[in-house]
Amino acid sequence: MPDKSSDVVQGTLDMLVLKTLALEPMHGYGISVRIEQMSKGVFRPNAGSLFLAIQRLQRDGLIAGEWKATENNRRARYYVLTKKGRQRLSSETREWGRQAAAIARILEAS
Amino acid sequence: MSLLRNLGSGLRSLFRKEQVNRELDEELGEYLKMSADEKMKQGISRKEALRAVRLERGSLEVSKEIVRSGGWESTVETSWQDLRFAARMLRKSPGFTLVAMLTLALGIGGNTAVFSVMNTVLLRYLPLPNPEQLVFLSLPNGPPDGVSTTGDDDKSFSYPVFEALRKEHAVFSDLMAYMPLAVDKVAVRIGEDPEEAEGDMVSGNFFSGLGVSFTRGRGFALEDETAHASVLVLSYSYWTTRFGRSPSAIGQTINVKRVPFTVIGVTAQGFYRVESASSTDFWIPLQKRSEINAWDEEGPKTLYGAPKWWCIQLIGRLVPGVTESQALAKLDPVFQGAALIGLGTPDPKAKKSTLAFSSTQGIQDMRDDYQKPIQILLAMVGLVLAIACANVSMLLVARNATRAREFSVRIALGAGRGRLLRQTLTESFLLVAGGAAFGWMFAISGSRALAAWSGTEIPFVLDSRVLLFTFAMSISCAIVFGLAPLRTAVSVPVGVTFKTSNATAYRDQRSSWSGKVVVASQMALCLILLVGPGLLVRSLRNYQTLPLGLRVDGLLVFGTDPFSVHSDEEKAHFYQNLLSRLREAPGVESATLVSHRLGSGWGWNSVWAIDGVEPQGSFSEIGMSANHVGPDFCHTLGIPILRGRDVTDADTRSAPKVVLVNETFSKRFFPKGDALGHSVTTISSTSVGKHKLENSFTIVGVIGDSKYKRVDEKSKPTLYFPFAQDTSIPNMQVELRTHGNPEALIPSVHAVLHGLDPNLPIQKPMTQRAQFDESYSQARLFARLSIFFGVIAVLLVATGLYGTLAYRVDRRTSEIGVRMALGAQHGQVLWLILRESLLVSGAAILAGVPVAIAGARLMRSMLFGVQPGDMISFLLALFGVILVALAASIIPARRAMRVDPITALRYE
Repeated sequence: MPDKSSDVVQGTLDMLVLKTLALEPMHGYGISVRIEQMSKGVFRPNAGSLFLAIQRLQRDGLIAGEWKATENNRRARYYVLTKKGRQRLSSETREWGRQAAAIARILEAS
Repeated sequence: MSLLRNLGSGLRSLFRKEQVNRELDEELGEYLKMSADEKMKQGISRKEALRAVRLERGSLEVSKEIVRSGGWESTVETSWQDLRFAARMLRKSPGFTLVAMLTLALGIGGNTAVFSVMNTVLLRYLPLPNPEQLVFLSLPNGPPDGVSTTGDDDKSFSYPVFEALRKEHAVFSDLMAYMPLAVDKVAVRIGEDPEEAEGDMVSGNFFSGLGVSFTRGRGFALEDETAHASVLVLSYSYWTTRFGRSPSAIGQTINVKRVPFTVIGVTAQGFYRVESASSTDFWIPLQKRSEINAWDEEGPKTLYGAPKWWCIQLIGRLVPGVTESQALAKLDPVFQGAALIGLGTPDPKAKKSTLAFSSTQGIQDMRDDYQKPIQILLAMVGLVLAIACANVSMLLVARNATRAREFSVRIALGAGRGRLLRQTLTESFLLVAGGAAFGWMFAISGSRALAAWSGTEIPFVLDSRVLLFTFAMSISCAIVFGLAPLRTAVSVPVGVTFKTSNATAYRDQRSSWSGKVVVASQMALCLILLVGPGLLVRSLRNYQTLPLGLRVDGLLVFGTDPFSVHSDEEKAHFYQNLLSRLREAPGVESATLVSHRLGSGWGWNSVWAIDGVEPQGSFSEIGMSANHVGPDFCHTLGIPILRGRDVTDADTRSAPKVVLVNETFSKRFFPKGDALGHSVTTISSTSVGKHKLENSFTIVGVIGDSKYKRVDEKSKPTLYFPFAQDTSIPNMQVELRTHGNPEALIPSVHAVLHGLDPNLPIQKPMTQRAQFDESYSQARLFARLSIFFGVIAVLLVATGLYGTLAYRVDRRTSEIGVRMALGAQHGQVLWLILRESLLVSGAAILAGVPVAIAGARLMRSMLFGVQPGDMISFLLALFGVILVALAASIIPARRAMRVDPITALRYE
């Protein structure tokens, strides 16, 4: 693992959480591990921001949570993407693509 | 949907706090354990793993705090905590809280009361449906030449104009006409005894067009107007005062000038009349009989038969969507056509009158007179509020300075400065809320008192606009105080307060400086608030001490309306008879008559030809006043006769026609010679606009100048005609001279009138002095109010200065102790404290005087016989400010003087 991890770009943590949940329902720790893995260790959200994002998404009705047993026989709250969440994810992904491309174009211009 | 979910979830965390907390705990705990499990797989101990996780991911408590503060409910929760904390802190120092709240209440309440007056007089719409559609019709440059008018020249129309305009249904959905039955009240009889009441004659659509609702019965219909029905509607207030709200009032008969009318309805509470501040008592439909005429006019002028008589006031309801300019464009040709009816061929040079609308907001009769005073009052209460705010924020600053240790401890324990700020803000909001609540109560009684003082019957309503005003003002106060103590609270470096003891508690130079600035500006405001009342009180004294030119004490004046006598001969006889009976009444020394009551504001202005020659010049140069008077006029009123004689009983209708003139008249028109023996001739205008000389009167007396319409008038050439010699004798007012209290004559006057005719009412009996006083009642009211606010300002500034000085002396106790230990004398210590307050007042005076001069200039139109830069008022104000400064510093200074050096030094 690289020593250096960055803060997630402002406002994008919600999108990343939605993306990880789009693959399969997961608990908080799972989400955090998955983000870390997928970003190859660049993003390592701390517990406070992660659960704040989860609370926010839940209140917006984008994800739903449910207590379940884990494979290691622990109790954990599993989150699943709602229909609204799926729509939001696709719209945000599109928007992000547009913006990232635009920023890249600006940075590459000489 | 998501808003609801958010709300639900937030509420759940608020009200099921325990469970939500437990769940969050559990979830976060599991998360950290899972992370630790992962770490342990790499072979480190559980303890090490947990530590690493805490470092990497944040500790459980911190994470919990972050998640919790994310939702809106946490704001509510901390605000609630702040509120409870603030309430606790305020309860701990009840004295401070009470003083602060009462100070604010004075400021906020005063502003609210004055604003509510302004709202009623200038802003409020009539309490009728869609009031914004209503407009008064007016004639800004007066009626056309050659018409005869009432006192309300700029808002009266002729019957043909009304008839023509009311047919313009594209402009007005309704055009309502109304006119008073008399200048004041008319004679009515409800049971046995005569009384008088105020009545209006109105068109049939008056109530329906305005949208007045009824408590009992019904209003008029158009048929009531066309049939001139003998029906009558009572106002709610008259129904209350005269009929005790009895339902049996409906159907009762009321004789208006001996003509019986049947009561058919009572208007709803809250509707007074459309144009003025006092309620009318009843309304009747337009009448065609000669006994009941608009403005109690007798003789040839009647509503229907005299197109040249412009006596009808109009209020229209515009058709929705029609703008005022569109409406006027459509109405003007109609108006111009109808205005000519009865006037013959117009003189092309004659001035053209134009139709205009005036707003129905506020009270029409009061708007012009009261606009400026109210604005000035509002400025004054604004200053009072500023002083009050400054006081409270100084109190808060002083309080928070003593709490500096508390703040330091809390900052050191990890309270965010933001949270501290929020707490002090919450405290000030709480103070302001309390102040506003007290202030509102104060405003309710205050506006009642204002209504009583200004003589309006319409209660000053504290409506939503006023509420909004108060609210906005309170919020701005709260922000001002919230910010004031903030600096001291937050800028204190933590270390300093811990190191220093209480007595020498941290105090930086800037804050003591800013305290002085605040006190100085308060005193400057106080100076301004003292100059205003000073000028007004001096004006008031000028009104009171102005020589009236007559012996005003010991005079009783009252009116009567002999509506049963019609011919001039009968009328002359009636009044002669009345006078001779009154002269014999016990206590009456002498008696006379006038047609226009002195000091009432009403008068008779015209131009007379002198020795057959019409004076030339503008009306302001050659205009004359006149009055009809009875025998013994000069003797009874105490006006000196300079040459010639008084009017006597011998000046009857058949006797040679004579007139008295005043000194100004004699000097103006006979600068060198003697006015006696010359003649004065009535000029009457003919329909072709030419003038014709009619009756001639010989000048038989020159008498001293005396006040006629009001106290503050300049003397004008005035003629006094024996009443009996006029071609049509008007209704007269009786003036009685007595030795004792004039009001004690009223019962015997009643008896005399009753003996003549049981239907005769006694109209507005009052002392002549009171009648003259009425002509400057507005100035008096205004002066009283400004004194009231000036006194409040002085009290506030005195307490503010006292508080600041006392606090500073307290702070300097040890310094004073050292000084005294080193040999300072009592006098020197006293001077130390006094010097400070004198310096502050000096600065305040330097700053305040120029502003006060500017402010006084704005009041110029309100002053009488006083210049805005009046030296005495300014000196008095300066003296007042210095007195306040000394009074406020004397107690702290004495306390400083008594400081025992030993005790003071042990303090350390």
